[in-house]
Order: sequence, then structure tokens, then C-alpha cells
Amino acid sequence: MDPARRLGPAQIGVLTQLVVATVLLGGIYALISVGLTLIFGIMRVVNFAHGEFLMLGMYLAFWAFVAFTADPYFVVVVAIPLFFVVGLVVYGLVMRGVIHASHNVQIFTTVGLSTVLQNVALVAWSGDFRYVRPWHLSTVLRAGSTIFNLTQVVASLIAVALTLTLVAFMKWTHAGRVMRATAQDRDAATLMGIDTDRVYRLTFAIGIAAVGAAGVLVAPLYSVYPTAGLQFVLLSYVVVVLGGLGDMLGAMIGSLIVAAVEVAGSYLFGAAWKEIFYFILFILVLGFRPAGLFGQRGAGTLGV
Amino acid sequence: MPRLVFTLAVAVLAVVLGGELAPVDGQATSGEYKIGVLEPITGPLAFEGKRHVQGLEIVRDLINQRGGVMGKKLVLSMADATDPTAAATEANRLITREGVKIITGTFSSRLCGAASEVAARHDVIYWESSCVDPRFNKRGLKNVYRTEIDATGFGWYNIEFIAKHLAPRLNLKPNQIKVAFLSEDSSYGQGVTESARQRAKSEFGMQEVMLEYYNWQTLNDMTPTILKMKQLNPDVVHHIGFGNDAVLFWRQSKEQSFLFKALVHAGATGYGGTDFGKALGNDANGVFALLEPGPGFRLEALRPEGREIEKAFRDAVQKETGTYPFGAHQLAGSGLWLLKLVLDRAQSDDPEKFRAAVMSLDLPVGSMINGWGVKFSEIGQNANDRVQHYMLQWQNGQLVTVWPEEFTTLRAKWIPLGAWDQRK
Repeated sequence: MDPARRLGPAQIGVLTQLVVATVLLGGIYALISVGLTLIFGIMRVVNFAHGEFLMLGMYLAFWAFVAFTADPYFVVVVAIPLFFVVGLVVYGLVMRGVIHASHNVQIFTTVGLSTVLQNVALVAWSGDFRYVRPWHLSTVLRAGSTIFNLTQVVASLIAVALTLTLVAFMKWTHAGRVMRATAQDRDAATLMGIDTDRVYRLTFAIGIAAVGAAGVLVAPLYSVYPTAGLQFVLLSYVVVVLGGLGDMLGAMIGSLIVAAVEVAGSYLFGAAWKEIFYFILFILVLGFRPAGLFGQRGAGTLGV
Repeated sequence: MPRLVFTLAVAVLAVVLGGELAPVDGQATSGEYKIGVLEPITGPLAFEGKRHVQGLEIVRDLINQRGGVMGKKLVLSMADATDPTAAATEANRLITREGVKIITGTFSSRLCGAASEVAARHDVIYWESSCVDPRFNKRGLKNVYRTEIDATGFGWYNIEFIAKHLAPRLNLKPNQIKVAFLSEDSSYGQGVTESARQRAKSEFGMQEVMLEYYNWQTLNDMTPTILKMKQLNPDVVHHIGFGNDAVLFWRQSKEQSFLFKALVHAGATGYGGTDFGKALGNDANGVFALLEPGPGFRLEALRPEGREIEKAFRDAVQKETGTYPFGAHQLAGSGLWLLKLVLDRAQSDDPEKFRAAVMSLDLPVGSMINGWGVKFSEIGQNANDRVQHYMLQWQNGQLVTVWPEEFTTLRAKWIPLGAWDQRK
């Protein structure tokens, strides 16, 4: 048997490290998927340009670092309001016109937006791979023989904080209740006097702010280039579907599942297999639990 | 008399502009000769494609300063080959609308196949300078040529380096060396890896402890792979990386304190790109990448004619970009220069005469840009042992030439690689 796969005491250290890798990678996926989950959950729009907003966040981190050697942890504070405004503008210019249109029209629109953003980035900043190297990059924390990358730890903690904040926001604030009401039944919400257009605008802006912040936070871990978003966008759809199409906590668990499948698949069978495994999972979930592993409220509007 | 003023103005303008447009230096040329250029100028491959274009433009100017091609001024008609479909349509357009008889390009193995099919269909010459897909000139297409070696040549050189240079310095016999093969899964990565595996095993009896391919565009974490490799304990990691994957592997290997004796890569992507050094600074120290020559390259090791054009090329790139030529400049540039040599010999773009000229060229190593020589095979492939390749090593933020030693003033360091914090 392949020595790498033989079980024994030496494997316990490896197993712990694999679990840590899963949790940290899951944290990054959760961070990236939060905005997509929110937008999908409330607006029922699949934002195919999600990855490109992530890419813009990464470029923000890069340029802030080049121009002012600004630490991404500082830039993220600026990124949230900045991307909130970007979200408002993009909603006004692009999404508002198609929000009541069919899903096909929405898909074409967001795919178009994605292509436009990629090519704007290419024209403006060239196709070079860029890197953000703050001093704390590659700082590792050790617990026994287990190693934690600090940047990944921070990204995961922020993902948890962001998810909990949004869950609390949705649950206990008036705006959150209005958003949920709109998600559950758009027409009824309108009849109750809710300005759904305003709800969508707010949702979109929050979603974009979340993904912009995610871009800034993951920029040190990955290279920054115009199609960087594509690296994550497919798997964030998987995460959203596993999590229940709009359920925040579900998406968090979905992220961990995707990461676990990826890490275990890469270790046991090779990195080429990881996508096969998580897309098999994706298809199984769509087939047997189309409302996601954990079900969801207002699934009726999706026709599932 | 406004009419006269107008005429005068036009005359003056004509003189001024005419003066501007006349060749500034070099031999006189009469008329223009246009060739088509296919490179990815937009899209995901643009980062290399644009450097190819830069290399082509620089060598075009060098050619025009030296009498052009067939006594005419060389003109490049650019087309954007974003993806295989665009490469095919644009090749079609260059041939039918621009009327070119020769097309050169294309950075990527994804593009050269599609574009050259179109050229062959129209009986147009396809002059490839950098795609390395081994299948490229094994399809029975008649007017298809490649100046660079293919991916299997890269694998050949890598194993040559491991067996002849690394093994003695590691005090190991080649058949004692344990190699882990890791690669991105493009036709390039597979071509290099498979030929390296084959030569390592059949010729030197090296021990293969791992083989793994992955898709670099969706790879977000190398930790599982590194943990697996740690247990297999290879001496040499043969890793063909493309972009982020190389940085990720190296950074996470450091985090996991994964120690091995050497890492060998081939090509201008991944470890062979400047971005790798930018991403890692001095942490990049020690990595080997098989490439075109870099700093340390001895002009004196070349033949006189090679020395002249190599120096002119290097100076022109330095002037334009402020750096030593990148692989993309060197591949595109040397390909275009070789095209000039062929056209000057053939004095025609007729496919038959062109072919006769290509086949009759026989130049030893050291005759042109990159210290290359020329000897094409019947299928239009320049020979491995003429297209001299060099091992470069990351040393304090720079990729420098370290092997073969007769071509360089610099020497390979950190063999074997020490602890991660002691590679200074």
C-alpha cells in the first residue's frame, strides 16, 4: 500500500493538519460566499458577476498596498463602505432594469456584467499576476505540530463574524424583517407597503460590500489578476446550493463541506479529483434535496 | 490667394510628414512585406501575449534596420487570439482580408493548433515561435514550422540537468534520486512531465515516488498535496506550475516546513515568471527553471554573428522595458529573426521555396538570439540539441543563468536546499 495512505500513529498529526486545512479553507469559501448567498436569498438573482466583485476587492487591496503600503486589514475598513456604494451604483445602472425580468434575462445581464468587469480590469491593469505581501503574510501559528496560517485564520474569523452579523441583522432589525418578507413573497410584501425596489437595492449593496471585503482579505493569499474571480465563483455556487439557496448559516456549513471534500479528495486521490467530488455532491443535493441540505424558507418562489 | 496658401501648406506638410516617415537609419528598403501575427492580446493569456508582441516589435525594428526581409520593410499585422476560436477566425481574417502568406504566433499551446489548421487549409505558412504542444507538428500539415523545442524537449533538458548536474552535487547516483512529479494539467504541463518521467526512468533509472496533475485555475489549497509529499520524502520535486499554483506550493511548503533537495521547473510560467519572484522575494531562492538565457549569460560563448544580434536585441529590450529580456520576448524575437534568415535565403514566400530554404539552414549552437542554432527536421521542428536551453535559478530576487556552465558566469547555489530560513 502507498505509504502516504497507511494508517498509523504518524497519521494522526497529518489528520489534524488536514482538519485544520479544511476549516481554514472553508472559512475562505464562507467569506466569499456570504454576499452571493444574501443576494440570491433575497433577490432570487444568481449574480454571475460575483467573482468579478471579488476580483475588484483584490485589486483594491493590491493598489492600496502599492500606493500607500496599506495593510489589507486597514483597507478592508475602507472597502466595506466603498463597495456598498459600488453596489448601489451597479444596482441603479444594471440590476434595477432586470429585477422583475425572467431568470434568463437576469443571467444574461450578470454574465455580461462579469465579462465587462473582467475586460475593464484587463485594459486598466493588464493581465499580469500581482501579489500583495503584507509583513504578516506567511506568519504561522503553531499548536504542537499543527500549523495555522494567520491570514487564513483571520479570514475565517471574519467570515464567522460577518455571517453572524448578517443573521442577526436579518432576524432582529426592521430592515432585516422587511428583507425576509420580500424574499418570502414579493407581491405580498408590496401589498403590505414595502418598497421592494429599495429592499433589493440595499440587499445588493450589502452583498457587494461583503464580497468586496472578502476580496481584500484573500488578496494576500492568492494572486490578483483580471480573471481571479473565476477561481472561486463556481464553488461558491456549490456552497450556496448546499447551504440552501439563501440560508446564511447553511452556506457556512456548505463551505466547510466543500472544503472537506476538496481536502480529503486531494489527499487521498489527488488534486485533480476534488472538483469531481464536490460536483457529484452538488448534483446529488440538487437531485435529492433541491432546497439545500438544510431546507429553506420561501423556497416556493424558486419553484423547488 | 488662399488657393496658393493652401497648396503651399499641403506641400510643406507633405515634406514634414515625409521626413518623419522616412527610415531613420540602416539600409534602404523598398516596399513593404506584411506578415500576420496572432497573439492573445486580451483575455486570460494576455499577460504573456503582450510580451510576445513587444518582442516581435523590437525584432521587427532590428530587422528593418538591417535591410528588412527580401529587401522590403517588414510590417506586422496584429490579430488578437484570445482563445482557440478567436485564433481560428483571426487566422482566417489575416489570410483572406489582409492577404498575408505567413502567420507567426502564438504564445499558447491552446491556440497554435487551431490557428495552424486554418493556415494549412489556405496553403499559408505557419511559423510558430513559442507554443510547445508536442502534437503541433505531428499532424501531417505541410507548411507548419516551429522554431522553439516542444514540451518533450523541456522534459529532456530537465532530466539532463538533474542527472548530470544535481546528482553529482547531491552525492547521489542518478538511480538513487527520488523524484516527485507534480504538474498543472495543460498539454504543456503533461508534455513536459511525461517526457521527463520517461527519460528519468528509462535512461537513468530514477525513482518516481509520486505523480500528480491538477487544474491550476481552481486550485486554492496545496496543503493536502504537500502533506502527502512530506511522507513520500522526495529528493527532487519536478513541478510544472502555471501561475498562482507555483506561489501557493512554495509558500505552503515553507509553512509546513516541507524539506526537499531541489525543485526543478520548465518554462516562462509559474516559477519561471517574474511574478514568482515578486510574490516571494528572497523566499524564492533556490528554485530552478529551464528557460531562455537570463542574466549571467556569456556573450563570448556565442559565435560572432550570434553575439551581434543577441547584444542588439538585449539592448533594445533593455531600452524599451528597462529589464533583461523575458522568455516571451526571447521566444517571439528569436522566432521572427529566424524567419528573416529563412526569407532572405528563399527570397520568396512560395511554400515550396520557403520549405527548401528552411530545410537547407544548418547553423550551429550560438548562431543567433538566445545562443540558438538551427536544424529543422522533416516535420518542421527545430532540433532539441540546436535550440540550446538553460537552467536558471532564483537568486535574491532575480532569475539568473546557472547551467550549462560554459554559457554563464554564475553558479547554482543551495544544493541541496537548506532549511527554509537559511537560503540567503
